[in-house]
Amino acid sequence: MSDLENPFQETLLSRHHAEPCTVVIFGATGDLTNRKLIPAFYNIAACGDLPPQFKVVGFARRDKTDEVFRAELEAGNRKNSRQGHKDELWASFAQCIHYHRSEFEDPAGYVKLKLRLDEFDKERGTPANRLFYLASAPEAFKPILEMLRAAGLNEGVGGKWARVVCEKPFGKDLATARGLNEVVNATFDEADTYRIDHYLGKETAQNIMVLRFANSIFEPNWNSRYIDHVQITCAENLGMEGGRGGYYDTAGALRDMVQNHLFQLLTLVAMEPPTDLSADSVRDEKVKVIRALRPLVGPEAVGKNVIRAQYTAGSVDGVARVGYRQEDRVNSESKTEPYVAMRVFIDTWRWQGVPFYIRVGKQLPKKATEISIHFKKPPQVPFATSQLLKNSENTLVIRIQPDEGIALRILCKQPGQAMNMQQVKMDFRYSSSFGKASPEAYERLLLDAMAGDATLFARRDEVENAWKFIDEIENAWHKAATPPPMHEYPAGSWGPKEADDLLRADGREWRLL
Amino acid sequence: MPPSTLNESGLGRLGIETPIAHIDRALKQLWESDEAKTRASLINLAIYTEDSAFLAADNDVLDHVAAEHACRALLILALPDARPPRARAWIQALCRPYQGRQAVCSEQISFVLEGGDAAQVQNIVFAQLDSDLPLVVWWQADLTKNFGERFYSRIDTLIIDSARWNDPTRQFDALLEAKNAETADFDVRDLAWTRSHFMRTALANCFQDASVLQNLSRLQKLAITHLKGQRMTALLLAAWINKRLGATLQLEFIEKDTGPALQCLVLEGEGVRGEVRRDSDSSFVHVCASCGRHEHKDLLPADADNDAELVNEQLSRRGGNTLYSGMLPLIRAMLG
Repeated sequence: MSDLENPFQETLLSRHHAEPCTVVIFGATGDLTNRKLIPAFYNIAACGDLPPQFKVVGFARRDKTDEVFRAELEAGNRKNSRQGHKDELWASFAQCIHYHRSEFEDPAGYVKLKLRLDEFDKERGTPANRLFYLASAPEAFKPILEMLRAAGLNEGVGGKWARVVCEKPFGKDLATARGLNEVVNATFDEADTYRIDHYLGKETAQNIMVLRFANSIFEPNWNSRYIDHVQITCAENLGMEGGRGGYYDTAGALRDMVQNHLFQLLTLVAMEPPTDLSADSVRDEKVKVIRALRPLVGPEAVGKNVIRAQYTAGSVDGVARVGYRQEDRVNSESKTEPYVAMRVFIDTWRWQGVPFYIRVGKQLPKKATEISIHFKKPPQVPFATSQLLKNSENTLVIRIQPDEGIALRILCKQPGQAMNMQQVKMDFRYSSSFGKASPEAYERLLLDAMAGDATLFARRDEVENAWKFIDEIENAWHKAATPPPMHEYPAGSWGPKEADDLLRADGREWRLL
Repeated sequence: MPPSTLNESGLGRLGIETPIAHIDRALKQLWESDEAKTRASLINLAIYTEDSAFLAADNDVLDHVAAEHACRALLILALPDARPPRARAWIQALCRPYQGRQAVCSEQISFVLEGGDAAQVQNIVFAQLDSDLPLVVWWQADLTKNFGERFYSRIDTLIIDSARWNDPTRQFDALLEAKNAETADFDVRDLAWTRSHFMRTALANCFQDASVLQNLSRLQKLAITHLKGQRMTALLLAAWINKRLGATLQLEFIEKDTGPALQCLVLEGEGVRGEVRRDSDSSFVHVCASCGRHEHKDLLPADADNDAELVNEQLSRRGGNTLYSGMLPLIRAMLG
């Protein structure tokens, strides 16, 4: 019966359509559920896009009732909902929310969960799709997945699907990522596994493909013949606030940001056009980029191409900041890097000889994530000396956050009798051109997961190939007899001098954000 | 219909009066006068009316729409029968706050064309477009007059509101004739159709319930409660439901003097019932589907149904409205 087609379900091409679904969140009492997931579901409901007969079940260890759980989430939603909080809608939405108390390792808890989900299906009069969201600490992934399999919850019921969404980190190196993927894929097929990277849910990240492949002026120039180099920057003006130092000190900037978020941006900039927009076509092209990264093997190659650094005491926005090793929950002897800058090459026909410079750091002067494409200078400019043309190459800037948009820097003649040139910026800002706010990244990604579109989720080979590249750097830093040095920079500066030297040696400079 | 506002104080709301020949210069001065303003434009949006009673309301619509869709806004009031012939123009910036400091502004040019003909209208519109941007026109007047081939062949999107038409049969004929013309390549957006969007979405939700879904073939009756003046909106919805069900249901239209445009929809048959109800002043709809003792209830958002929100909704949806285009011949046949 469930296969009957609803004749009133319009096919709107631009909109994702999800069928009745129950989402089970593991680690439901955590910050992510309260701050991101539930507000995202609420906002999906406020837009009318929530599948009919939707249910969300919070699975966690603490003892509480549905009512207490709902009240806690309501307080979080009031604070965090993008479109505000309406009591009438919340009252209806809250009826979809349930709480299930169990230890992650307790088989009986999963048997009861299954009974509960079956009961929901009975109320609906039809089986529903099931989405298991792993928002717990990564150590709990394995027992949760094993228990789901033991309880038979990894299989869809009545022709419906069962899927899993995994929050990052997807391992801490290649070995642990492979181990985790083995566990995940022993329970769910790869096609039913959604590894979430919220950067890909951002409007500007999605716009990179549109910019490249829907505009005929960029793609013909998008190669080593016209592009001099690419910079990807993710700057944060915060340090280890809110007790984050405990986790961060075990990870570092390379693992926490580069392996996932920044490599995802790199692949979108460097990938070949996909043959179609199916999830695997897009991800096939992204994996090719990761696989084509020229490996950095050994301390010498790493030292020459990768700069790591820790911040020392300084000030950001006029406020004094302590050094990294003095941060709360950070080891005072820490060898973890809150800053990394690197030069990588992609060994493909398109990108031969074009350096991609990536930098990410904490306690930098401002919060900004952007990609800048620096075009080559024209072979000859009759209007000016080469000194006047210094740093004046055409630059296309894709701002990911904040102030999402695109800017193009070009040269123009200054008004007047003389032939003087001036850099000007053509600037497109999402917020000024489109009055409507973009959905939060989690809204888009949750809707995609429920609708079965995996395009914006990382695939296993993508993750593992990225770790393979990163592991070589980590090995050089932590296992080599003479590891490359850890540099320092004062909090509030744009990073260590050595990072500037990395580009200066190539006759280039970091873009001033 | 709003009261007529074609007096000097009403016209003053349109901004600074400017000789038509100097509009470009006046706009430049407008932007230069305040460096904090950022001009933004993604489309040319024109509203054409021949009824001065709508001038103030249309002015408000553009102000509201420009806050969400940066545009070059053109408001054209043509009074073909007025004498002596006279053409006047006003300019103004439609601004909204941005990051607490600056203002992002669209620009609006308003025209009152007394004694104007079709050629004058199209000359004025085409002379004031922001080049290279799509042209969206909300044509509020009679489509059988002034809506000529030279004009519609340049339009990218035509917005209409068939609920406002006194003689829908003639208007749909004119629309289909224009749409089928060799030079026409415009997409039609009918606000009467947009008005029922939330009802259609809610109906889909209602019949997603498996027990109800398997009894669809038992449905026999359809009752739609609508606001007075929105019969066309209700008719479009009824035609769509019949089309989707591949059936001819027994129809009942209930007209109310107050409340939202569409207020209630009930589909009924032996042992099966689906209801979508919107209370006055509520921004939600209650959905209730029942089959025997089984019942499913839900609460869904209802779209605002004022003109500005309907236009915003349409401008948010790029790409052709194939669903409505597919409905056009059916609607025409239904009107007889």
